[in-house]
Amino acid sequence: MLNKRTFLIPLCLMMAGASAAGDYRPPEDVLAELIEKSGSLYLTQSEQNLMMMADNPASWTVEEGEALFHEPRGPNNVSLEGCDFGKGPGVLDGAYVEMPRYFADTGRVMDLETRLVHCMTTLQGFADDDPAVKSRHGSNSDMMRLQSYIGSKSSGYPWNPPLDHPLETAMRDAGKVLFNRRAGPMDFSCATCHSESGKRIRASVLPNINSPEEWTKAISWPAYRVGHQHVRSSQHRVRGCYWQMRQGQSVAGSDASIALISYWTDAARGQPAILPDMKR
Amino acid sequence: MKYAKVTATAAAGALLFVSTGAQANGEKPDYTAMTPEALAEYLIFEANGIKLDQKTQEGATVKERQMRDELQTICSGGTRATLAGDDLAKVASLGRAGIVKPEGGVKLGDWKKGQELARSGFGFRVGHNNDDHSTREPGGNCYACHQLDPKEIAYGTLGPSLMNYGKLRGNSQAIIDYTYDVVYSPHSFFPCTHMPRFGANGVLTQQQIADVLAYLIDPASPVNQ
Repeated sequence: MLNKRTFLIPLCLMMAGASAAGDYRPPEDVLAELIEKSGSLYLTQSEQNLMMMADNPASWTVEEGEALFHEPRGPNNVSLEGCDFGKGPGVLDGAYVEMPRYFADTGRVMDLETRLVHCMTTLQGFADDDPAVKSRHGSNSDMMRLQSYIGSKSSGYPWNPPLDHPLETAMRDAGKVLFNRRAGPMDFSCATCHSESGKRIRASVLPNINSPEEWTKAISWPAYRVGHQHVRSSQHRVRGCYWQMRQGQSVAGSDASIALISYWTDAARGQPAILPDMKR
Repeated sequence: MKYAKVTATAAAGALLFVSTGAQANGEKPDYTAMTPEALAEYLIFEANGIKLDQKTQEGATVKERQMRDELQTICSGGTRATLAGDDLAKVASLGRAGIVKPEGGVKLGDWKKGQELARSGFGFRVGHNNDDHSTREPGGNCYACHQLDPKEIAYGTLGPSLMNYGKLRGNSQAIIDYTYDVVYSPHSFFPCTHMPRFGANGVLTQQQIADVLAYLIDPASPVNQ
């Protein structure tokens, strides 16, 4: 198990020097603090991952994403600095923890990936089938680089998806139904594995949606998955869970996927995001 | 490999969102005017939430798989702790009705085959990567959720420990019959349990269930050592 003493000392040193930097905190500090507060088995299950957090390979992906974000690209040769992620064009600090949200220019509730695709196709002019937007998975995809960078600008910020617009509430509520919807040859729903703390599938400890302290880590995507050796997104997680439930393939960017992400983000409300995270 | 479905219930489910605001002309309905349940059905079946056309191992399409029978519909609404007694009684009765016993009664099979089935999580996955049942038979994946052989340390805890299952309960015909029913359709005893209906849903054959029973009950099985 984790040696609490060695973990605590650097945490205290870092916290003393971090107060002036606003809400931003490095992901390893956020995780260390959550572990101290909750002692959740899900948060502490992989000591190796915790030790490697400071050298998370996703930090390279973040750097590559930063360069891509500011570079003029696409047929229109403009950067993504004109893209509004909900807090104004180019404003990224704390933007991701307030998604999914309603965007008046599309009339839709959009998650990070869907909004990014929207800006790359409309603002930058990429075609829908351009690899820059079509290739969604893997650390080498533009999509994962950009998502990792945009996400990292919300590390330490509390999840706070808006519920001011009626569509935001409708999507969140439908997402709750989808989360609990049992179907398929195994009769599974998301809730089968994610409604109690400390439960395991084989040796893997599962996160509980009813425990915000551990759920924030569960939804902190993009994250580097050690077993995959790639940075993965929220949409990738949704697809993977549907696959393991033996239900059909979730369509990335569909309103169903965004509804589910709306519900799961709301369930972590108030807890700090760990971005980029690192998972087994 | 059959995956039985109550088609009447599925058809009723499909009709549900027709009357709740989904428009036939392809225009997006007003999500805020729909109940969360109706919107969820619409998002799956009408708004391209899931790839419905893909073929499944049971010989139908994902669309059929996403439709729910009555038991799944009731159990989507809560747990044994939160659902009304009437709902749970209905689920238990649906669970019992789904049980088909082997001709000539339930007998223990081969615990070694049962052990393989208990370890294997192969089968029924569709999507970006399909489990091809012609290359390998689907398993029961018992270890995902249960402790069984004390020597196996990578066991799940979503379900109760089944270590020494037969040693603690004996191997009477009553125990064998009861255990068959639990594996075949656990809702008959535990309404709205997380556990799949391995028999009623066609995940395991009667013979495979007999092999899993042997792994649980046979005094020679490592589960009882």
